Amino acid sequence: MNRSSIVAIVLFAAALLALFSMGPTATRKIQSTFFQVISPFLKTGSGLERQITSVRAGLKSLEVLERDNADLKVENRSLKATNEALRDVEHEVNRLRQALNYRERSLFRLVPAEIVSRDSSTWWRTVTINRGEEDGIAPEMPVLTDEGLVGRTTTVSPNISVVLLISDENCRVAASVEGSREQGIVTGERVTGSLSPMLDLNYLSKQAELKPGQKVYTSGVGGVFPSGLFVGTIRSFQVRALDSQAKLAPAVDLAKLEDVFVVIGRK
Amino acid sequence: MIFFFVLVVLVFLAQLLEIFLPPLDWMYNAHIYIVPVIVFYGAMALPFPLMLSLAFVAGFLWDAMTVQVLDAHVEISFGWSILLYAVLAAIMHGLKPLFNRGRWEVHCVLSGVCTALILLAQYLMISFRRGSLIFNREVWWQIGGPGLLAMLMAPLIFWALHWIARLTNNPYLPREEGFDEYAAR
Repeated sequence: MNRSSIVAIVLFAAALLALFSMGPTATRKIQSTFFQVISPFLKTGSGLERQITSVRAGLKSLEVLERDNADLKVENRSLKATNEALRDVEHEVNRLRQALNYRERSLFRLVPAEIVSRDSSTWWRTVTINRGEEDGIAPEMPVLTDEGLVGRTTTVSPNISVVLLISDENCRVAASVEGSREQGIVTGERVTGSLSPMLDLNYLSKQAELKPGQKVYTSGVGGVFPSGLFVGTIRSFQVRALDSQAKLAPAVDLAKLEDVFVVIGRK
Repeated sequence: MIFFFVLVVLVFLAQLLEIFLPPLDWMYNAHIYIVPVIVFYGAMALPFPLMLSLAFVAGFLWDAMTVQVLDAHVEISFGWSILLYAVLAAIMHGLKPLFNRGRWEVHCVLSGVCTALILLAQYLMISFRRGSLIFNREVWWQIGGPGLLAMLMAPLIFWALHWIARLTNNPYLPREEGFDEYAAR
């Protein structure tokens, strides 16, 4: 081994030790700076991704129309294609109108945000949103939609933030079950083969008698999530040796998330 | 040296591209990883100090993207991916004589194996941290799937990188009976 290799190993080891000894604050600072640097790429990439998805969806619809209406004339097909384009616009208008209404009637001070990227790693369920410190967002703030709870912010840079989804095993939410005194902790599954995974409601009492269809809301215990946010609906329930567990379908379809709100305080 | 900087830029761009590549639902949500393949090519085509530097850059970017800071603790310390990349790239670097003899297919297979090993190591660290070890079909697919995909992508990526290496006059390319001669046969 030559001298340059030895020097490289020593420098590498020193840099690695420095990184290993970093605390959470320094780690967050590095991540925040990194996300700030790549934010233009993320925002541009997200825009392109939406355009491509929209074009692909349009093409699929055309294929279906062509198969079903093979005998229609060219003019008819062109009209249907135009209709399809207008439907996309209508969908977007409805989506934005719904978001605006929710923001106005909510009890919380909400910052609307758009998802710019999702699930960039295998083991953590996260999304990145296009709002950050400059919009009043800080780490550990709840994120929701008009349908229910989505997750909480973790790393926040000036104009981009990472949201840990409720489907991640690390996103623990204290919750209570509608129509009962049962309280438990909602967590995601460590590994799932689906984009819309089920949630676990753990630490319920052994005497709990829950039924599929009952709704689960945040209980407000723990301080991060305010009480009363819709988390999910019970799909199944089982009594275990020491406690009981329920499986929940999340209130929000996490695979189709487009717009979210970050709760920055109460009105 | 130019080729090293080209690889650094490619690693950065590939890391950004990976964000927008959706997980494959037909493969139990396995992700597509391109960066490891680029790093492992670098392990063969660069001298040891530059190979370590490339592993550092790639691991740093991966950790900056994925490390989770939860309340007052970091789930897997920043730096583990760097160490994993460095160890695996050093193993690939040790097999450089094979590459110099034109046996590049071994490295394609190893790129896939090493990609899966990185994910396996991460999963084990998470499992020890969270306190339970679960191995089901989904876990195996999410570890093995990206490895398999990396193995399939490796010949194409290696070929493209080899072409760039020649274009930039990388002095560390194999001299005798190299990649091209082998590929031409």
